[in-house]
Amino acid sequence: MSESTMPAESFGRTVIGRAPRAAARRRGGVSFAPRWTRALKSVVVVLAAVFFLLPIAYLAMVSFMRPDDILSDRVVPSGLSWQNWSSAFDRFPVADYLRNSLIVAAAAMVIALLIAIPANYAMARLRAGGKNIMTVIVSAYVAPPIVAIVPLFILVRKVGLMDSLVGLSLVEGLMVVPVAIWLLDDFFRNVPEEIDEAAQIDGCGPIATLVRVVLPLVAPGVVAVGIVSFILVYNDFLIPLMLSYSESTQTLPVGISLMQGGREVMYGQMAAASFTGMIPVYLLALFMQRWLIGGLTQGSVK
Amino acid sequence: MTTAAPVPASADGPRRHRLIGWALIAPALAAVAIIAAYPLVYTVLVSFSKSTLGRPFQSWVGWGQIVTAFTDGGQLASILRSLEFAVPAAVLSVVIGLVIALSLDTATRGGRVVRVIMLLPLMTPPVMAGVIWKLMFAPTGGLFNDVLAGAGLVTEPVLFLGASPAAMICLIVVDIWQWTPFCVLLIFAALQSMPREVYEAAQVDGAGVWRTFRSVTFPLVLPSLVTVLMLKVIVSFKVFDLVFVMTSGGPGLDTNVASFNVYRTALQQFDLGAAGAQTIAFIVLVTIVVLPIATWRSRLLKAGSRA
Amino acid sequence: MKIQRRISTGITNSRARRVAMAAAATLLAAGTLAACSGGSGSTTSGSKTLRVLIAAPQEGAGKALQADYEKSTGTKVKITVVPYDQIQTKAILDAQSGANQYDVIQYWYTSVGALAQADALDDLTGWVDKDKDIDKSDFIAPIYNAYTQYKGKTYGLPFDGDTHLLYYNKKILADNGVKPPTTWDEYLADVKKITDANKSKGIYGAVMMGDKSAFNIGSTFFNRLATFSSSPIDSQKPDLTSPAALAAAKSMVDAAPYTAPSPSQIGFDQALALFLSGKIGMMEAWTDLGTFAQDPSQSKIADNWGAVPLPAGAGGKTAAPLDAGWALGVSPSAPDQDAAKDFVKFATSKAENLKLVTTTGSGVDPTRTSTLESDKYKSFTPVVAAALTQILGNAQSWPTSPNAPKMIQSLNDNLAQMLQGSLTPQQALDATEKAWDAL
Repeated sequence: MSESTMPAESFGRTVIGRAPRAAARRRGGVSFAPRWTRALKSVVVVLAAVFFLLPIAYLAMVSFMRPDDILSDRVVPSGLSWQNWSSAFDRFPVADYLRNSLIVAAAAMVIALLIAIPANYAMARLRAGGKNIMTVIVSAYVAPPIVAIVPLFILVRKVGLMDSLVGLSLVEGLMVVPVAIWLLDDFFRNVPEEIDEAAQIDGCGPIATLVRVVLPLVAPGVVAVGIVSFILVYNDFLIPLMLSYSESTQTLPVGISLMQGGREVMYGQMAAASFTGMIPVYLLALFMQRWLIGGLTQGSVK
Repeated sequence: MTTAAPVPASADGPRRHRLIGWALIAPALAAVAIIAAYPLVYTVLVSFSKSTLGRPFQSWVGWGQIVTAFTDGGQLASILRSLEFAVPAAVLSVVIGLVIALSLDTATRGGRVVRVIMLLPLMTPPVMAGVIWKLMFAPTGGLFNDVLAGAGLVTEPVLFLGASPAAMICLIVVDIWQWTPFCVLLIFAALQSMPREVYEAAQVDGAGVWRTFRSVTFPLVLPSLVTVLMLKVIVSFKVFDLVFVMTSGGPGLDTNVASFNVYRTALQQFDLGAAGAQTIAFIVLVTIVVLPIATWRSRLLKAGSRA
Repeated sequence: MKIQRRISTGITNSRARRVAMAAAATLLAAGTLAACSGGSGSTTSGSKTLRVLIAAPQEGAGKALQADYEKSTGTKVKITVVPYDQIQTKAILDAQSGANQYDVIQYWYTSVGALAQADALDDLTGWVDKDKDIDKSDFIAPIYNAYTQYKGKTYGLPFDGDTHLLYYNKKILADNGVKPPTTWDEYLADVKKITDANKSKGIYGAVMMGDKSAFNIGSTFFNRLATFSSSPIDSQKPDLTSPAALAAAKSMVDAAPYTAPSPSQIGFDQALALFLSGKIGMMEAWTDLGTFAQDPSQSKIADNWGAVPLPAGAGGKTAAPLDAGWALGVSPSAPDQDAAKDFVKFATSKAENLKLVTTTGSGVDPTRTSTLESDKYKSFTPVVAAALTQILGNAQSWPTSPNAPKMIQSLNDNLAQMLQGSLTPQQALDATEKAWDAL
């Protein structure tokens, strides 16, 4: 599950027509490709990097701009200030929103994994659910969340979990279960059956096999899928919008949408709040990127 | 893909295992029931009735609302708009993703840095992505207009989100920005896992770059591309946050995609019955589009595993 | 081999651990569930906290009321602020879905019919008539009638009496040799003149609020409808087939190209920011713009602005269109009805109304005659006060029937399409009329 094995990366080079001799070289080896393909590749990569980075850099800049500059025609601000940041935190409960987002995402991730892992094991090993169970589960994710909004609203209210972190985490956790199951499927199926058989011989029942044997082996996948689930929930907007009312439960995307529609233009503060919300996730992604990229890519595409 | 063989039965027999299996999968099934089956049933029922948000199921109206959802010009238009958004967004993401994946070389440090950079749009909550791009597109004070005006290229502000078809195009651009990295990562992994021998054979044969790509790379990576396409189409049909933040369905109704239209009907007009009917029409559309792609995909995968 | 070893040594530990974790998780879940279902939602006993739903433009007022009320009665008040284009959804959703998150609801007056019919507002008729302190007759009559009445009963008390005036930037108008217009034709000519001469400098003759929210594009249209009509507008179903309606729609379309870029993307917040930064010649806006314009921390045009009644159309006369406008009502499911009513009485009282209208940033405008004519108000914002007294005699209300939310939304949709060019004014009005008939 490493990022790139030698054959793979050198394979990457041969894809664009470099000589097979390059495949024998390790990282950083000289390539024999026609120069124009290399130049083209560099151009594409640079353009991509700029395209993906530009809006984020702009957001950072806006968060430091003064209100005058935001609405003016100047490209480069006349001066920078921290006032958006202090204003965002003063006028809006940004810290609360952030805390809520983190709690809900973490709790939902745990819930989703707790439900998905046994299910995946049962599907991969115990033939539970039959042939079409995966299709059924995945199709639950296909429909846009707007379908579920009103019925869930009514259900959550009936159960008395409206405007609560528990209720929100539960709903969000349940909603990412299909994704978690789908992504974990390959990881579970890649565990060789011999291992199960060995555990069987040792006298383990299916559950013990799952916990003691299979789980450690799929752990990297679980981590990756956990991160994906965390991010999906963290970024969610519609469900928190409908199920939370007060700043003790509203998440950051909802909070930022509430910054519009007042009397003043709040772009600077929205930028500062957005950035605050994005930083934890970016850090998470940066630190976990090896797991994330490896796990994500290994699991889903075959 | 390794197929799973059942765990060898112990003396209790497979029945005990099957019970345990069902017990383990029960929570997942319950989850699906709560978040998908129940809402679906509710939606179907409510679309046959006259319902408002506070007084659901006031009376039975039969097929009337559903027929309207499929035939009314405005409703049809919103469904078409979803299509208009999802398909180009998905196809472009996949194509651009393929180009970038092909160009990516993790051997170099630059390549690794770019891969990390590409995680960022994926991590960005769509609401915030909408806010950022809305700022960039703004007619006064927006980045693009400021740059264009500053460079003397335009005398009047260019309306990105305030005119059509620019508004829809801009939404697609933002969606591409957000999801292409996803495609890149998946396609890149697929590229990395392809067998070398075929390439070496092609090289020995003296095939050029384009020829190699067309006859060797592309067919091999096609199953993965179709998988990514399917995922991306599903994701794109769900778009809501971007429309909510950037255009509210405007200008006029030009970006009033089906998901947003349902939101408006349910939560601004409080007409639950009509919203339910529109939802059904929407689900039908999504199925019509996704099903062929899924079938294509399984056919490719089966063909691939046979080879 | 390794695995087998792991299995044999680890089983008992793992099982015990798992059981313990499961137990802990269940306990945790049960505990939080209990806590949460007891805590959130309506309280049956315990500390009295009044939960009040406030619209974002009146956030200042909400916070001031919270402080004042807590000080004078000791009852805690919890304010929830919601953006102006979501408050109607919030209030109706709360009431109709039975979530019952609020005791006192600030509602947009056009939804009084819908809310009353949906049993989302208490019938306050008896209480209002009996309680002399409320002094019903002091409320400005057209405002009171529009904001609170449904089928002859009273469902709330006016909180913020909104109407539009035409604001102008003295310097920009003077520089271009233009006087504040008294007819819409003059307005169009003035806007064209100023924009043509100044748009290279980023200065425009006017800014038009064309954003799809009802408060924005709806107000822009209604301002014209009210001043083109020679007869009062029917508050149950305005007549869109009249020549006045067509003229109103056309005047929007005619002026739009000469106003600040992209009216369809401009809402009140953007328009206000532009006007206060001195880039706009004229703007139709609410009366509290006057106080913002004098606040040096937000405005660059202090003492450089004026306000006059809206222009009139041919055959019409100037009017006070009731754009936006807020009232406070009591939720029938509020556990302590008397406390909620007391808060409403307090918030709409003479003293509080006067205090709020003379406080910058409150977002509240006069609802009572006593406030309107008070010296304090007149000296606080003389220009606006003078203009207001001129027009409130001809106040025109938006629809307030139970179908009003739907009517207003379909009107806005068609107006937005008209402004953007996919419908002609005639088509927009026809489509709306058709939709209204179907309701």
